[in-house]
Amino acid sequence: MKILVAVKQTAALEEDFEIRDDGLDVDEDFMMYDLNEWDDFSLEEAMKIKESSDTDVEVVVVSVGPDRVDESLRKCLAKGADRAIRVWDDAAEGSDAIVIGRILTEVIKKEAPDMVFAGVQSSDQAYASTGISVASYLNWPHAAVVADLQYKPGDNKAVIRRELEGGMLQEVEINCPAVLTIQLGINKPRYASLRGIKQAATKPIEEVSLAEIGLSANDVGVGKSMSRVRRMYIPEKGRATMIEGTISEQAAKIIQIINEFKGA
Amino acid sequence: MTDPTQITRILFQDFDPKAIYLFYAFGYLAIAIFIHGCYVQVRKYRRGKPDESWNQIFKRFWDMVKTMASHRTLVRRDKKAGRAHGLIFFGFVLLFIGTATITLEYDILEPLFGVRFWYGNFYLLFSLVLDVAGFGVIAGLLYMMYRRKWMNLPKLDYKRVDRQVGDPDYDRSQYRREDWAFLWSFILIGITGFILEATRLVWLSETPSVWDHRFWSPVGALLAHMMEALGMTAEIAGAFRPYLWWFHGLLSLTFIACIPYTKIKHIFTAAASLMFKSPLVGRRLPIIPVEQANAGYKTITDLTWKNLLHLDACTKCGRCQEACPANAVGAPLSPRDVILSLREFANKTLNAKELPAEAELDIHGKSPGQVMQETLWSCRTCLACVEICPVAVEHVPIIVQMRRNLVEAGEMEPILEKTLQTIHKTGNSFGESKRKRAAWAKGLPFEIKDARTEPVDILWFVGDYASFDPRNQKVTRSFAKLLNKAGVNFGLLFEAEMNAGNDIRRVGEEGLYEHLATSNIGTLQSCDFKSIVTTDPHSFNTIRNEYPDFGGAFEINHYTTLVKQLIESGQIKLKKKLDYRVTFHDPCHLGRYNKGYDAPRDVIKLLGCELVEMGRNRDNSFCCGAGGGRIWIPDPVGIEKPSANRMREAGQIEGLDVFIVSCPKDLTMFEDALKTSGFEGQFVVRELIELIDECIEYDVVDITNEAEVITTSD
Ligand code: SF4
Ligand code: SF4
Repeated sequence: MKILVAVKQTAALEEDFEIRDDGLDVDEDFMMYDLNEWDDFSLEEAMKIKESSDTDVEVVVVSVGPDRVDESLRKCLAKGADRAIRVWDDAAEGSDAIVIGRILTEVIKKEAPDMVFAGVQSSDQAYASTGISVASYLNWPHAAVVADLQYKPGDNKAVIRRELEGGMLQEVEINCPAVLTIQLGINKPRYASLRGIKQAATKPIEEVSLAEIGLSANDVGVGKSMSRVRRMYIPEKGRATMIEGTISEQAAKIIQIINEFKGA
Repeated sequence: MTDPTQITRILFQDFDPKAIYLFYAFGYLAIAIFIHGCYVQVRKYRRGKPDESWNQIFKRFWDMVKTMASHRTLVRRDKKAGRAHGLIFFGFVLLFIGTATITLEYDILEPLFGVRFWYGNFYLLFSLVLDVAGFGVIAGLLYMMYRRKWMNLPKLDYKRVDRQVGDPDYDRSQYRREDWAFLWSFILIGITGFILEATRLVWLSETPSVWDHRFWSPVGALLAHMMEALGMTAEIAGAFRPYLWWFHGLLSLTFIACIPYTKIKHIFTAAASLMFKSPLVGRRLPIIPVEQANAGYKTITDLTWKNLLHLDACTKCGRCQEACPANAVGAPLSPRDVILSLREFANKTLNAKELPAEAELDIHGKSPGQVMQETLWSCRTCLACVEICPVAVEHVPIIVQMRRNLVEAGEMEPILEKTLQTIHKTGNSFGESKRKRAAWAKGLPFEIKDARTEPVDILWFVGDYASFDPRNQKVTRSFAKLLNKAGVNFGLLFEAEMNAGNDIRRVGEEGLYEHLATSNIGTLQSCDFKSIVTTDPHSFNTIRNEYPDFGGAFEINHYTTLVKQLIESGQIKLKKKLDYRVTFHDPCHLGRYNKGYDAPRDVIKLLGCELVEMGRNRDNSFCCGAGGGRIWIPDPVGIEKPSANRMREAGQIEGLDVFIVSCPKDLTMFEDALKTSGFEGQFVVRELIELIDECIEYDVVDITNEAEVITTSD
């Protein structure tokens, strides 16, 4: 029995940050990286199944990303994951969520797990589509925003509860194997102590190249993505301003603003 | 004149030889039981983990002798009990030496070499000394009985704060019974000893070599006269004596046999505990050996032999509980209960011939002998318990080791978990970006040197609260101005400074501590400076006492020491005197941890303030409640916070103007507490730096041209 958990290292911004010169992203200097918040929960869900099962359950975490991602994978290993796989090629820079889903899919085909968990979304890009695209590539059943899961290794069905709008829950029976995207709060993720993380440093992280999963540089990256970031920017703040002065001054100011908006 | 050799006590006088043999048989039996008990205890200790405390064994022994001889630790905060114990202790020691002397002559020197010395003047002096000793023991015991029965001391109430009424180990009445059994049996031995002595005198009242010298045994003689007055004749005394003799003898032998099995063993365990105490206990927490897989204490066998010994040394005096701030506000923690629980657990599991299965050795939980999480997390590692314990029990390292295990298992408040993760991510507990570490310095009229790029005399390790907390930033700026004004060549680490780790270590997150400590040490070692200064007692403690274990030996001072020097050397001129009535709160990490009691007081006096001490001051200072990581865990609602308790104490000082602190966390805790204390408006909480600041004149020149200041400000 094997559960594969797809994880991502996400970036949090420092209070004062600057946009990269190319205008496509925030300057890396101002980012603090950590494991995606949702992934803490999906990994914990996998660990719970592993720990309460009589049979052997292998939990494999997979991430697509550069070297720095190892730190987050190590945290997963510290929490008890059995193996960690990291796929990367510089050509993959700029891939959108669907392409990442494609890469993950190839890993999953090789690993042949019985279940795939992912977070509902990532805290930095928030596409909420990586997990679902994996399901689509694999042609597996899937459920999103899973807030409760009843599943034992070997079951061919799982019962899940999904969080809907307005505090409603929907109970769904789903055929397995399946791809589930896990919602925050489904469990209480365990703490990875620093000693645990350090000790996990001795567990190897398998680095996988695109070739090893049957892909090439042409299958990934901006070029292959169906959506591309055009620019990243901070919307202007302080749109409401008090217009001061005499009546005619105020009128003149308003005309000026309107003209600016019209692009004059 | 009687032949001096006649002036003695004939042992077993008129006893049937069979009776003597019988007595010896009982004697050997008692010794055998005693030795077996000692063996079981030692086997228990040997089941603990190793500890390095065997070093400097002679010095340790000598220190222990001095402590016991002076009774220094016993008279603190309870003079009468300490003195009464002194009477019992020294009396007991003398009686023991006396008995040993008799044995030496009667069983060794005389039968083997025919040597005798226990007669004549020596015998008479001996009698006098032992009579006085015995009297002292009885007087001491009587006081102890009175104290237990009528003084109603809360610290002698063994009811537990961490258990509910009805729990099997809630009221610990077993201990009370043991206390009384001990007192009664001991006092009975003393009393019967005297009556026996008196009976012998009456019995031998016709023998001049005995009767004529009776007043060398004053208590016995007095009793003898009373007995005679009551009509006791030599015959009656002679008939009565054997019964009394056997009663006294068997009771004494039973007492000896019981030593290793009852509280009497503290004679040995307390002495050993004092001998093996760690000079830096609590100030320097134990490192986790590299080869050890799991952090902290999970099972009773994770404790070291020294820990196990400390458990046995506790005499339940309750002084630690009385000093404990967590206990004072009703948290489910009494340091004594932690020690006693673990002791009971150790006795249950480790006294057995075969060690029970691993699962039965778990010391975490709610069953009898186990320690609850809530208890462990209530501790503020303020060291008040360790500091006052008369027998050197070391509670804090045990509590932290147990927390290490909880942290490893993720058993902690979610909010604490978050804070630890934040500290790991950002290097500070505020979750601020590293770049903002020195943001407080913006707007100062001078540049502060970057100690990473140029040599400085003094490296200022600022610490998290002083760096990021808005209220403390004001103080931090004042201190920077002060250093600048005094012409001190100082610098900062800027964004390279990380949380020093003191409180993280005390939380029990040892891995994170190692990470912080080693990176700070690396940064510090790459800088060129003479000494470190900090306004934060927490950073001060860990850099001073714990960094050496990780290869970082630095000279560090708390700012109060530096400021005192600067004022005394004239580098800082105080332009005015303050006429405030003030009191001073000793921060745990400056006071108890590092004995920095005097420097802040000296500075306060130099400022001209009138210092009125609170009842709990210096070594008995009352923790603000922020220690041990508790600053990151909100205190439960509904019970008083330690800081509020402290405000009540300060509020009793009439006409108090300022409550002075010298620790950033204290400032935060007490300013908060003052708001709800009902004393707001009556006095204020100030950091000592702020008062110094009031006395320094920063002239306009400062702002425009700091270089000139150094030459012209005088
Ligand atoms: S360190 Fe302080 S809070 Fe902790 S048990 Fe001892 S006295 Fe109580
Ligand atoms: S630990 Fe020390 S202070 Fe506390 S009760 Fe025991 S002997 Fe007294």
